[in-house]
Amino acid sequence: MKMVHLDRVTMRAGSTVLVHDVSLEVEAGTWCTIIGPNGAGKTSLVAALAGLRTLAHGTVSIDQHRLDSLKERERARLVAYVPQHPEIPAGMTVEEYVTLSRVAFHGVLRAPSIHDRAIVAGVIERLELGDFRHRDGASLSGGERQRMVLARALAQSTKVVVLDEPITGLDVRHQMDILELLKKEVAECGLTVIATLHDLTLAGLFTDRLVLLHRGEVRKDGAAHDVIRSEELALSYGTRLRVVNVDGSDVVVPMRGESH
Amino acid sequence: MLTSPPSTRRVLLVVVATTAALVVAVACGLVIGPTSISASRIVGDTFSHLGMGHSTLTSLQSTIVWQLRAPRMVLGLLAGAMLAVAGATYQGVFRNPLADPYLLGVAAGAGLGATFAIVNIANASSVPAWTPLLAFAGALIAVALTWVIGGRSMRSTPATLVLAGVAVSALFTSAQTFLQQQSSTQSIARVYIWLLGSLATASWHSVLIVVPYVVLCCVVCVLAARALDIMSVGDDEARSVGLSVRSVRLLVVGAASLGTAAIVSVVGLIGFVGIIVPHIVRLLVGTSYRRILPLSVIFGAAFLVLCDTVARTVMAPSELPLGVVTAVIGAPVFVLILSVRRKSNS
Repeated sequence: MKMVHLDRVTMRAGSTVLVHDVSLEVEAGTWCTIIGPNGAGKTSLVAALAGLRTLAHGTVSIDQHRLDSLKERERARLVAYVPQHPEIPAGMTVEEYVTLSRVAFHGVLRAPSIHDRAIVAGVIERLELGDFRHRDGASLSGGERQRMVLARALAQSTKVVVLDEPITGLDVRHQMDILELLKKEVAECGLTVIATLHDLTLAGLFTDRLVLLHRGEVRKDGAAHDVIRSEELALSYGTRLRVVNVDGSDVVVPMRGESH
Repeated sequence: MLTSPPSTRRVLLVVVATTAALVVAVACGLVIGPTSISASRIVGDTFSHLGMGHSTLTSLQSTIVWQLRAPRMVLGLLAGAMLAVAGATYQGVFRNPLADPYLLGVAAGAGLGATFAIVNIANASSVPAWTPLLAFAGALIAVALTWVIGGRSMRSTPATLVLAGVAVSALFTSAQTFLQQQSSTQSIARVYIWLLGSLATASWHSVLIVVPYVVLCCVVCVLAARALDIMSVGDDEARSVGLSVRSVRLLVVGAASLGTAAIVSVVGLIGFVGIIVPHIVRLLVGTSYRRILPLSVIFGAAFLVLCDTVARTVMAPSELPLGVVTAVIGAPVFVLILSVRRKSNS
């Protein structure tokens, strides 16, 4: 079943075209990663997928609903969003932060219901944040903090989660932790994940499908294995890349010297 | 800043303390003054009005308490509560700790309106009755202009709105300065006194005028506390969890500005309450607006009446400008709490 559908999406900032004529369909319960060099339009596309940007042209639909026809509250029940640099307000506990995501269910004038609290408690447990529940979110380490942000997105109980660079700034172990957590949600809960990643090796390792974005357009779209080995990938990044197979996984290694 | 969320016990303690401050403020507002009337006799008089016992106050004393001190005290409560809530709300909605209720041009607009009234309509004797009305209109026009300039474009952010407020304020202030400069020395003095802000002209009439605005606006802002908490994670994320950020901002900024305009038009520009009270409350109970906003209502009300008591007594029979007193008392209190909090955190 098609869960996410982008139909000829074009986005502009003033006269600059950020995303040009992008069409994309993502199956339910799969993980699609958008890759591409800086400035390719990944962040804009992800924000559009979350329904947070006005499109110059085209439509974004999730679960058959056009996002621009929905109220904020209805849309929030379909898709959750993790930005590249989440703002963590000082003085807000981990539990309070994760509970924010339930506002689409209990409404802004009411307190979270018992059901809302149970879902939050469940996600906090699943992401092993129990010990930090009453800690100030701003005081957590990078890895814990990113887990907290992920918990917020998952507690929103949506079918689709959109993440912009969810592992930037984390050490390799915490990168793996976050990606494993997401993979588990995809495999066990049927979550549909759309993420942008810079690490091509990790992207290939965890993802069913890669979409290469270059200057706002889709340059290559397909199975991770094929996209990573494609001519277009190295061209887009403008540097020499070698793909090495290590125990069945593709490892992308940048090479020094002339780009081709 | 408070780095660990406050315990329930401390929040409770702060609630009790601010409520006590409110009671003390109300008592000071009624009891302290050049004519000495004891608290017990005022209490006795209050009960006699309710049909219990009889009063020992002379009719002059009764007039002093109920027609001079009481309306002044009540107006002080309303002004303090409104300015503190508006300040806290602006700080939340713009995610800017330096925001105060005058940020979007309320002060400059009201100043221009009042100056216009004083300069053009004034007779020799007093500040004209039109002053509050024109000040109110000026304040609303200024905020509306700010909103149209800064808030209308699709890519507007809190920052563009604040910048528009700065521009509109500058425009209105320059117009006001021009008017003032063109007028007589007498009017200049009157404009200046109005700008400093005072509760001296309080009457039950002025209380009745501002009550509906203050109650409505405080209720709207306090009800929006949860939305402000959510907005503290940023516009995009607040929208992504389902909050209509633009509508909330319009509603809350509208309410805070309307209430501030009503208060300013009656009492003039009382500075510092709107910025210092929310910060003191925040230092005591943490960053959640669900605690900051209701406590700002109580503490703002108490704080302003206590300041006014000081303003009208230390140099009696002349009065200190209220804005001077709020700053002189507020700043040290703020610094004290800040340093105590730092110590207990380290």
